[in-house]
Amino acid sequence: MKIALCSSFAPFIHGGSRNIVEWLQVKLQEAGHQVERIYLPQVDVPDLLFVQMMAYRWVDLASSADRIICFRPPAHMIPHPQKIVWFIHHIRVFYDLWDSSYRGFPDDAKHRSVRDALHAADTAALNEARHIFTNSQVVSNRLMHYNKVGSEVLYPPIYHPDQFLCRSFNDEIVYISRIEHHKRQHLLIEALRHTRTAVKLRLCGIGASETYVNDLKSLIVAAKLGSRIIFENRWISEAEKVQTLSDCLAAAYLPLDEDSYGYPSLEASHSSKPILTTTDAGGVLELVQDGINGLVTEPDPRALAEAMDRFYLNRAMTQQMGQNASARLRELNISWSHVLERLLS
Amino acid sequence: MKVLVVNNMAPFIWGGAEELAVHLQKHLIIAGHDAELLRIPFQWEPATRIPSQMLMVKAFELWNVDRVIALKFPAYLIRHPHKTLWLLHQYRQAYDLFDAGQTNLPEDQAGQAIQQLIKQADGETFRESRRIFTNSEVTRQRLAHYNGFDAEVLLPPLNDPEQFSGATSEGYIFAGGRINEMKRQYLLLEALALAPRNVRLVIAGPPDAPEDASRLRKLAESLGVADRVKLDLRFLARSELAEYVNRATSCAYLPYNEDSLGYVAMEAAAAAKPVITTCDSGGVLGLVLHRQTGWVVSPEPQALAEALAQASTNTTFVRELGVAARERWLRMGITWPNTIARLML
Repeated sequence: MKIALCSSFAPFIHGGSRNIVEWLQVKLQEAGHQVERIYLPQVDVPDLLFVQMMAYRWVDLASSADRIICFRPPAHMIPHPQKIVWFIHHIRVFYDLWDSSYRGFPDDAKHRSVRDALHAADTAALNEARHIFTNSQVVSNRLMHYNKVGSEVLYPPIYHPDQFLCRSFNDEIVYISRIEHHKRQHLLIEALRHTRTAVKLRLCGIGASETYVNDLKSLIVAAKLGSRIIFENRWISEAEKVQTLSDCLAAAYLPLDEDSYGYPSLEASHSSKPILTTTDAGGVLELVQDGINGLVTEPDPRALAEAMDRFYLNRAMTQQMGQNASARLRELNISWSHVLERLLS
Repeated sequence: MKVLVVNNMAPFIWGGAEELAVHLQKHLIIAGHDAELLRIPFQWEPATRIPSQMLMVKAFELWNVDRVIALKFPAYLIRHPHKTLWLLHQYRQAYDLFDAGQTNLPEDQAGQAIQQLIKQADGETFRESRRIFTNSEVTRQRLAHYNGFDAEVLLPPLNDPEQFSGATSEGYIFAGGRINEMKRQYLLLEALALAPRNVRLVIAGPPDAPEDASRLRKLAESLGVADRVKLDLRFLARSELAEYVNRATSCAYLPYNEDSLGYVAMEAAAAAKPVITTCDSGGVLGLVLHRQTGWVVSPEPQALAEALAQASTNTTFVRELGVAARERWLRMGITWPNTIARLML
């Protein structure tokens, strides 16, 4: 089959939304399909929203592709008789982030009408699709709430799940992720001060904000916890990630109200390690069940500290949760074979 | 510097222009730049949808890009304050092919309106571009003739010159490249029928359509030359192609009015093989000089038969022509580092 994967992008910015497209491309090609990846530019400026959507509307793939799969908005505007949408998020400032500090423009008549017109255009384009998938229940709920559109959750797997393994359980809770304020590495540093055991913390990754990285460094110095905190502020290779996860005690992932479960929690699950997260982490809670494949606490340093101590002290529980984490992937059908089967059906 | 290479995409079709764009990106990175490739789908049938696709390109917003290098219509219409054009070709069906009556534009007022629209949009783009290069003298002349813009010729380099190192000749004449009417492989077969019986020919390359292959096979049979020609009509790996060139005594390339030097001629010269071509082969004549670096004869079987006879014997003269072809090619200095330096000046 000739399949066009359509998404929007910002040149020179490599976010997670490219992974889902590019990994799927490889898997489809391995399955013998001809795949064309189409990334078109998009800038989030209210005044330029509709003219850009029009541009996507004029993309003509009707005669060249047998099927198109659309990801990041406004790719779902592209017309095609066999249009499949794998929706990963709305243009959120006009949806769930309208009443938040992220909006960046006034709540006035003009912008409200832009919002309403966008909702109408999105709904119309989504209704053209033969099938709509989302990357999480959170996104499916939003589609239903705002667009009155039904969808099927299709969890995106990681690229090479088979490389992850479980070798041992050392004393470290590891957090491998971009270093960003909304990922809340600072909460864990504060939590470590309240722990009563010798449990350790390893933070790995890089971030766009130098300020936040420096804040973390100051926090670490102020905490006076010495070698119990390791901050690897650099890009971590896949091989290193595999090693670190295979030996850790548990993995942490506590973003603020994330759309999906996040690749870090998947990688931990494939390594048979339990996940530490918080009650306000959004999509992560679709994967992590408190006391089964991880611990879910209030986003509070003391509560997190208590959970960290539990992982450290109760090794049998920790190992069992790790095994449950791996089993949870099968339960949710998170695999490339399932993804391909659903997208091509 | 963040450089965005902007090219068209004919979905699911991969050819020389696509290779060029990928290598341009690669060599920009080698030269120390950040480079990404934006490929914009373009569907030129039906021609009445060309105007909306021109609008599509103009409606895209670029952000986080310092410089654009654009290659083809309509992708080069994209708006950016620092745009360099490396023109591979314009929409020829609105220019020289229109004049020659070989256009897909409707033969009515609508067709003329589309032609005018293309010409106007092109003019606007050429005016706003910082610099204009063309891939050949022919493209440069067309641009001057039809649009009144001057440009510098920047010939595309070989992407893998190291593969064409030459080897001992095995006594055959090699004709590589795409198989179609314009490339006139049939003329070589007609010439072979008139040439001495010891002349052997290898024709290898991908047929544009299955009929191009079958037509050639039938002709070889009916002319009674099937035992003296090897027809390897398929897409060849670069290494296979290089092997054919390296072991040939001479090469032959007879396109009708080629735009540029032609990769086939460049590869032959790089491997120190003299080239047989015809006086109406256009850009190829920039590399092939009669009895200096090859043979330039009239596009007739008898004249070509004489050239074939000379070119297929491994004489000192033939070898000297090959060495001279290689020297001429190297003196042109057409390499990727030089090309990037000029584009980024």
